[in-house]
Amino acid sequence: MEEQNMWLDFPMYASAAFVCWLAASGLFLSSGKKMLNQLAAGLSFAGTAFLLVFITVLWIHIQRPPMRTLGETRLWYAIFLSGIGLVSYLRWKYKWLVSYSLGLAMVFLIINLQHPETYDKTLMPALQSPWFIPHVIVYIFAYAMLGASSLVALRNLFFAPTEKTIKGPIQMADNLVYLGFSFLTLGLLFGALWAKDAWGHYWTWDPKETWAFITWMFYLVYIHYRFRHANEHKKAMAVLAVSFAVLLICWFGVNYLPSAENSVHVYSE
Amino acid sequence: MSNEESRKTGANRWSYREGTIVTAAILLLGFALQAASGGTVLRIAGFPWNLLAGLVFVGLLILVFVLWPKHSIVKGLGSVKAALPAILGFTFLVLLMGFVKQDVEPKNAVVELLGLTHLVKTWPFMLINLYLMILLGIITLKRLTPFNFKNAGFFLNHFGLFLVLFSTTLGSIDMQRLTMNCYENQPESHAVDPSGKMIEMPFSIKLVNFSIDEFRPKVTIVDNKSGQIVLSKGKAQLEMIDRDSFSISSYHIKVEQFLESSGKAGDLYTAINESGSAPSAKVTVNNPTDKSEISGWIFSGSYSHPPEILQLNESFSLAMLPPEPRKFSSELNIQTKTGKNRSTTIEVNRPYSIEGWTIYQTNYNTQMGRWSNLSVLELVRDPWLPFVYLGIFLMMFGAAFLFITGKPKNGGTEHVA
Ligand code: HEM
Repeated sequence: MEEQNMWLDFPMYASAAFVCWLAASGLFLSSGKKMLNQLAAGLSFAGTAFLLVFITVLWIHIQRPPMRTLGETRLWYAIFLSGIGLVSYLRWKYKWLVSYSLGLAMVFLIINLQHPETYDKTLMPALQSPWFIPHVIVYIFAYAMLGASSLVALRNLFFAPTEKTIKGPIQMADNLVYLGFSFLTLGLLFGALWAKDAWGHYWTWDPKETWAFITWMFYLVYIHYRFRHANEHKKAMAVLAVSFAVLLICWFGVNYLPSAENSVHVYSE
Repeated sequence: MSNEESRKTGANRWSYREGTIVTAAILLLGFALQAASGGTVLRIAGFPWNLLAGLVFVGLLILVFVLWPKHSIVKGLGSVKAALPAILGFTFLVLLMGFVKQDVEPKNAVVELLGLTHLVKTWPFMLINLYLMILLGIITLKRLTPFNFKNAGFFLNHFGLFLVLFSTTLGSIDMQRLTMNCYENQPESHAVDPSGKMIEMPFSIKLVNFSIDEFRPKVTIVDNKSGQIVLSKGKAQLEMIDRDSFSISSYHIKVEQFLESSGKAGDLYTAINESGSAPSAKVTVNNPTDKSEISGWIFSGSYSHPPEILQLNESFSLAMLPPEPRKFSSELNIQTKTGKNRSTTIEVNRPYSIEGWTIYQTNYNTQMGRWSNLSVLELVRDPWLPFVYLGIFLMMFGAAFLFITGKPKNGGTEHVA
């Protein structure tokens, strides 16, 4: 069926999600009442659900997992960011974090609305593997978690100037890093197993692999630093902020590095 | 603070200073050795010497740990104060790899001397790997004694990584990756290694049939003068012919007839299926701006037949691109020297293993595409693979532990054990 026509429906779903999330963030930030918070949580879930419906229909129509083009990746990012925001709210009740996550998710929606790409239907044989879906989902999940942890880090660096007020939020950063890092590790290992099947070797130090590994190492530094220096909050947050910069290079920047010509991973766009 | 630990354990004098000095010394020594060796590619000894070296290494590690578990160096090597600089040192090398393109001819003398274009095969990389293995070995032993189930996650992560580093480092020399060119119906028992050396295999492979499953071709607008695809907003406008009608730019295209496999007969195309046939379509193109309508055939072309484009006006034509492969596969018949006879079909992502070798589908004669009678196979032997996989699986379970248990309680200031 027609992929492009599928995307013609996107503005409808996206605006529905957008409106829900905007209302949810507004409620979260302004109200203190329990009932209104519950309503906000419901709205933020509804927004995510709209996108889930869209991506499901899209998946069925294009007959391949919608996880290949940048546009499709952004869609997952929006879904997971909003989902994680909601789950973390239900778990830890940090209202600012859920609003931040929803805000970021909305940014991804806007980018997608402004850059409707030509969505490619063909999928090269090496990408047609049972590893494809777990590999990409696990990575996007990890990036979303780690992205959220960096928001916490930045907030802690700039808005929580005393060592006392930082204690609670830093626990949240740790929680998000541990969750995100475990998924990052899985993504790396799934990738290795897949590469073995597709190319005969589990690790070839392809530029994308190299940068994914560098990202992993930086978060490894954070984990070990925090383990031994539980009270050096500001420095730990700085490590976290740098790690996120590295993650962004891995995600967006690799395609532009001279070392990445002919990388097997530079296929989207 | 850096004296947090020393306050608790008293005698431990190892601090970040020592940790950093050791890592820096290892890197400097590594690059010095690399430069001294004239920038050659480092190779370690193959089986059984690598196995022997590995066993001696593990033996020594255990011996040192058993003899001097409380020595300040052993304690220092098992602490975060050694671990962090070491991880950063390793990250530094990997960052170099992230910026300097690998596996190419070095651009200048410095790059060549320090081996920056093939870092994984250099002294600094090997030494820092060895150092990380020592650290991982010691902390694993430290947490194993006394045994406590609470350390399971720690063990899985650190020992898993140890095993991966250990088996990939030692195993890299025993791994063989060969290329075999198989032509249809000609049994082949030789393959070539990356240096071009011919190697006799313990089996012969006959390519019974090579086939490609293709996507529907895409059509696009090309410039009549340059022959190039016309870009709009920096992107090619491509549409796959999998519908009866669609638009490209301002043109409306109606597909009257589509032939999956065809050849030219006079002015038109007919369905045939022989070497060199390719997809074609009869289309009617409508240009709403000047209300013109043009009808005709487009043909993707093949190794033996030229493509056919449909001229729309003075400037532009409609062209059909060669179809992209959805899947390519080789039907093989394998006869081993030990008398086994196996028939199998391999494709990308679906290799086949026999007698310690794994056979991968990698390429074909791309000029001939679907009609290629050549299949390029990659043959890989990797005897250390089970250990690498074991390490990978340990780390996967370790990741699950991180996910489930999260950060150790009390802020991580106390040992879990
Ligand atoms: C690159 C080599 C590594 C080194 C040299 C290293 C070293 C260390 C050291 C020395 C400690 C403190 C142990 C103690 O004081 O008792 C530690 C703790 C820790 N490491 Fe590593 N580590 C490495 C890799 C990893 C990896 C790959 C992971 C996770 C996938 C990891 C996760 C942890 C965690 C979570 C702790 C906290 C302690 C605990 O959970 O019990 N480390 N590491």
